[in-house]
Amino acid sequence: MADAMLVTIVDDDESMRQSLPDLVSKFGFRVRTFTSAEEFLASDCVARTNCLILDVAMPGMSGPDLQRELSRLGQTIPIVFITGQRDQDLRRQLLAEGAVTCLFKPFSAAALREALNIALGVS
Amino acid sequence: MSQSTCSKAKQTPPEWRGFGRHLLCATCGSPGPQGGMVPGVTAALKRHETLLAEIERVSSTGGFCWHAATGKMTCTDEVYRIFELDATKPVTLQLMGTRIHPEDLPLLDDMVERASAHASGFEYQLRLRTETVKYLLLNARRSEATDDQALYIGAIQDVTRRRLSEDALGTLRCELARLARVSSLGTLAASIAHEVNQPLTGITINASTCLEMLGSDPPDLDGARETARRTIRDSERACEVIARLRALFGKRGGKTESVDLNGAAREVIALSLSDLHRRRVTLRTEFAEDLPLVTGDRVQLQQVILNLLLNAAEAMSAVEDRPRQLLIRTEFDAANQARLTVQDTGVGFGPEEAPRLFEAFYTTKSGGMGIGLSVSRSIIESHSGHLWAELNAGAGATFAFSVPARESDCGAHDRSVVGAPVDTVRLMRRA
Repeated sequence: MADAMLVTIVDDDESMRQSLPDLVSKFGFRVRTFTSAEEFLASDCVARTNCLILDVAMPGMSGPDLQRELSRLGQTIPIVFITGQRDQDLRRQLLAEGAVTCLFKPFSAAALREALNIALGVS
Repeated sequence: MSQSTCSKAKQTPPEWRGFGRHLLCATCGSPGPQGGMVPGVTAALKRHETLLAEIERVSSTGGFCWHAATGKMTCTDEVYRIFELDATKPVTLQLMGTRIHPEDLPLLDDMVERASAHASGFEYQLRLRTETVKYLLLNARRSEATDDQALYIGAIQDVTRRRLSEDALGTLRCELARLARVSSLGTLAASIAHEVNQPLTGITINASTCLEMLGSDPPDLDGARETARRTIRDSERACEVIARLRALFGKRGGKTESVDLNGAAREVIALSLSDLHRRRVTLRTEFAEDLPLVTGDRVQLQQVILNLLLNAAEAMSAVEDRPRQLLIRTEFDAANQARLTVQDTGVGFGPEEAPRLFEAFYTTKSGGMGIGLSVSRSIIESHSGHLWAELNAGAGATFAFSVPARESDCGAHDRSVVGAPVDTVRLMRRA
């Protein structure tokens, strides 16, 4: 079942887009990556994505902007935020708006796995 | 009755000329009618005096007349009121001294000294230790109405209210500056954290993936190699961030110019005077006029001087039982070095603190970052000089640095006159 699930990564940082897919694949999920929120919205992945790994601070549309836009579109994709800013207020706000979790960089592979498992309801 | 005559002038009526409250004959100077009292003048003077007294009260300013040679002093009522003195007793400088804050008494001595040298005028800011502390502005000029060089006419203004609001404003300004510093550091720290966290995350994720790939059956060696390479690349990226930070905050290629330490110190003092005043610090300078030029970065050296000066002021902030005195001295020392010394009467430092004084991030101050002295020492060392600290024989500490004199200046120097402190400036204490 799990290998059919699609995890989509949206992050403007290249090293994230290179390192995360291999790990997420190792967890047994399919992966797609996008450099921006706009690019993701314009793709055919929105309806097919089972979980979104979403960077908070990006040029153009930010992670929280995308979260609101998806909610406006009626999309209820579980979101795992990742961010380099250790901002607890922002974290609380993101969780209040429905995010599964918000991981502060640098996070461990185990923390990411646990977040994905919760988001996708697998154990 | 009013038709008094003057025997010498032989004219009726004679021409009277006013002199103070009296009418004197314009020709012979003999007193006029009614023993020379001007009719109606007494009442007019009385009204005038009442008006002047009102003005004195409104402006909190009293007048005085002081004969420096005899010590004789006459004061208006407002001076009595300001000093809270018994109005029936004559005022003397000694009596005033009993009301002046002990720390400010040297200023009174200074005034006597200046008056005996026939200074044309002087201005002092004094504190009174009356029931509540009062801040006074004393201003005097040598009287021009007489040839007597010892006669001074002056005004004393009670500026307590103005001072207190200035102090409150100063406190606010300091707090604001501190907040601005903290918030800009906070912003800086956040952006550094973000820059470093990106590659750190990459390193963690790549290394984890690498382990997963090696642990799978069969091991994915190509994938493991690729993720290991990415790990290295991300750690290089983290190093670049650190290198950029160093370039931004580390040693910049200091400018090399001829620097006059006296001039550099004077500029720093000018910038810090109001701060020192607010901290109730008396500053004295002893600048060697024959100080040779040094080679280096003027701004960096000024940063060091400012740092030592502010540290000294800070060290005295809790001192209440002795004067807060700061001495800045420049001299040409025996080793052909220009030396600047900052001596305070502050809390000094304990023997266990001495070895740590110049360590980065070591601080005893609540708001301090603990980088001032370590940065100062590295600046002085980049000028081939030394920065050191020692405890005074009395209270407080002395921080000093020396940097080599410019080579062309060393030979030309006459060592016999070197080091004589000239240009001694005594700055007013402002409570």
